[in-house]
Amino acid sequence: MKKSLLFFTFIAIMHFVFMGCSDNDAPVDNPINNDGLYSRVLKDLSLDVITATYNQLYTNSISLEEAANVMTVGDEAALENAKNKWQSTRAPWEEFEGFLYGPVDTQGIDPAMDSWPVDLNAINNILNSDNPITQALLESNNEARGFHTLEYFFWGLNGEKTASQLTPREIEYIKAAASDLRSKTEQLYFGWLPSQGNFAANFINAGENGSVYTSKINALSEIAEGISIIADEVANGKIEEPLNGNNGGPKPQAEESRFSNNSKADFANNIRSIEHIYLGKYNGVQGSGLSNIVSGVNPSLDGEIKTAIADAVNAIEAIPGTFTEAIENNRSEVEFAQSKVLALLGKLQSQLEPLISNLN
Amino acid sequence: MKYYYFGFLAVVFLFTSCKEDIDEVYEPSPNLDSRLMAGGETTVFLTTSNAYRSPAANLSGSKLAYHLDGDFQFETVFVTAPAPVNNGVGPIFNNSSCIGCHPKDGRSAFPTDINALSGFFLKTSMPGYGNNNAPIPVPGFGEQIQNQAIFGFEAEAKFHVTFSPIVETFADGTSITLQKPTYSLKESYIPFPSEAQLSPRLASPVFGLGLLEAIPEYYILSNEDVNDADGDGISGKANYVYDNASQSIKLGRFGWKANTASVMEQCAGAYTHDMGVTNPVFPFETGYGQTNGEDGLDDDAEISQALLDEVTFYCQTLGVPAPRNLNDESVKRGSDLFEQIQCAKCHVPKMISGEFSVEEVANQTFYLLHDMGEGLADNRSDFLADGREWRTKALWGIGLTQVVNGHTNFLHDGRAKNITEAILWHGGEAENSKNRFKALSASERADLLKFINSL
Repeated sequence: MKKSLLFFTFIAIMHFVFMGCSDNDAPVDNPINNDGLYSRVLKDLSLDVITATYNQLYTNSISLEEAANVMTVGDEAALENAKNKWQSTRAPWEEFEGFLYGPVDTQGIDPAMDSWPVDLNAINNILNSDNPITQALLESNNEARGFHTLEYFFWGLNGEKTASQLTPREIEYIKAAASDLRSKTEQLYFGWLPSQGNFAANFINAGENGSVYTSKINALSEIAEGISIIADEVANGKIEEPLNGNNGGPKPQAEESRFSNNSKADFANNIRSIEHIYLGKYNGVQGSGLSNIVSGVNPSLDGEIKTAIADAVNAIEAIPGTFTEAIENNRSEVEFAQSKVLALLGKLQSQLEPLISNLN
Repeated sequence: MKYYYFGFLAVVFLFTSCKEDIDEVYEPSPNLDSRLMAGGETTVFLTTSNAYRSPAANLSGSKLAYHLDGDFQFETVFVTAPAPVNNGVGPIFNNSSCIGCHPKDGRSAFPTDINALSGFFLKTSMPGYGNNNAPIPVPGFGEQIQNQAIFGFEAEAKFHVTFSPIVETFADGTSITLQKPTYSLKESYIPFPSEAQLSPRLASPVFGLGLLEAIPEYYILSNEDVNDADGDGISGKANYVYDNASQSIKLGRFGWKANTASVMEQCAGAYTHDMGVTNPVFPFETGYGQTNGEDGLDDDAEISQALLDEVTFYCQTLGVPAPRNLNDESVKRGSDLFEQIQCAKCHVPKMISGEFSVEEVANQTFYLLHDMGEGLADNRSDFLADGREWRTKALWGIGLTQVVNGHTNFLHDGRAKNITEAILWHGGEAENSKNRFKALSASERADLLKFINSL
């Protein structure tokens, strides 16, 4: 396992012992200007990147639900449309994995939407039973709902499902699962939205009464840690397990979106999640991101992180064929992509995180 | 797996007045700065939602890699057998992954729907003591009620709870209403014996466990005072329990009633009883012998000793988050109050660990059992713990619960919705301290809470 870079983090963290972990360190030049910058970054990221990504996820899941609702046995066009809508809903999901804190975690929404592996026995047992397939039924079956359950129905185990192979019972399941997915994305989006659950306020008002973050720097640390965590998961989980999980050899059953051959897109979108947070840019809206802070403190690191992000995305997208094929036939390209993600991880953990925690 | 012990420094401090002694003098709380390394060299400096889920700071190289492998396993989700990956949840279970009950390696909230997948379940037993004083399993149900089942199998029962209010009033006239839960079963798959006992459990945070496991037994026992010889109203008592992992009787250190002696036992028990995943320590399905207990597959043990070792090591080597705001005047006043109203008699500030010792572990508790009074009683014995006795829990990291887990539900079943409520639930040996808390002024209470939340 390529974990050697990770221990740098913890050595880096030990620096805190000597530099202190409180905000009460030596006074800084222009503290008010920094404060204004931090506020802008927190507001732009929590609203224009994070909440906006959830909004896109919710919007696209409504289209997916609509597409599922018009499916019938034998209608290949409807199945094709549903597959496209699945992929377009998957994209903002993967793009949000750089910020896995808040309601997605505390309300148990992640396992309700993205549980892996799917429980094929549970799915088949439900299909073969007479029970009406309702959302309540799906609520107690996290491994038989969500993205990968729908993926299984749309593409089949070997990726070659056709609409004529669908059964009415499967379509009943698909409709229930798509509706369930949409309701979960709504819960997620509303969890952050200022007019609803307003989790975003914890970032916008960091350091004030009512925020779970005791300072703006604490909130910025959460954001910096979030992008490290997804880089780690991509390199050391999502790529590593299928690549080497079988005693150093390929383990295709560990590949997460293998039914739809969507894994490369998933990984690239995870890195894009990092990019959106780092640059403060999503869906054409450019605001302040972590880069605005880093460039003022360490401009060369800022450039290095931007390059590392681009390199990782490019290397993932350069893997030939499907990821399933590549872990067998193009291992060096997969390893190369993994190394680029690890390089990005190293910069985020050993340089970005301490930079953020040590801000004044 | 004791790799992480290497390199720790020894400290030899123990604050207590619970034993009759001449050599040790009870000292007031130390300068709080010295408490910064709450977990010794394992301490991590995080105040985000990741505060409980980081490797101990002194892990590196291959041991860190091993820990991270265990991290991956801790997050895997089990599915119905047969399956090529993560095989073997159920047939009866409470949840399907470690992380499901221990989100971000922290603690679950009390569930809004008590029958949804959550970190809550009920333990059960027949009255009396079995072999080695163990709880007596309930025929057809065992020692734990599994309220979920894989498709085609019946869960043991559904849970039911009702609440009754208890009003507590402070000296300054303000009052708080506690909610006392009463649990029962409904829709049990076979009749549930009327004399069987039920006791609620909510999942606890997973960090710092290796430190607790490494505290030398004699340090823990030196704080026992079973007959309250020193007359301070506090009588700590050790629990001795059967450890399946080593097949011997050992000092209980884990679990809300200290009924588990080792981290391995705790993990192995959770795999089998909470998830239905058999393993070499508990190779039989939790429902063995029950009509809903056997999946009829010849795949036990469903996980290997190697995987169990890895997850055990993971749970032993999570870093302890450092306290915050140690220089804040309110926090310092609060730490004095913590000593004055005698919270520190049970929640002892400092402990050391083993022949491989760990430096200064602040607000470390004993595994000693204490009678916590009628309000918290579960009326169910667990080895030597009687129906009113509970293990003192470590308070480290408690102030980060909101940022990590999005709630502040405390005590064995989450009945306390914040720290104030948790204190007000203290009774029995802690009744005196609770009353002294109620007698404090509002600003003194605020100071004490600020101190506890700094941990």
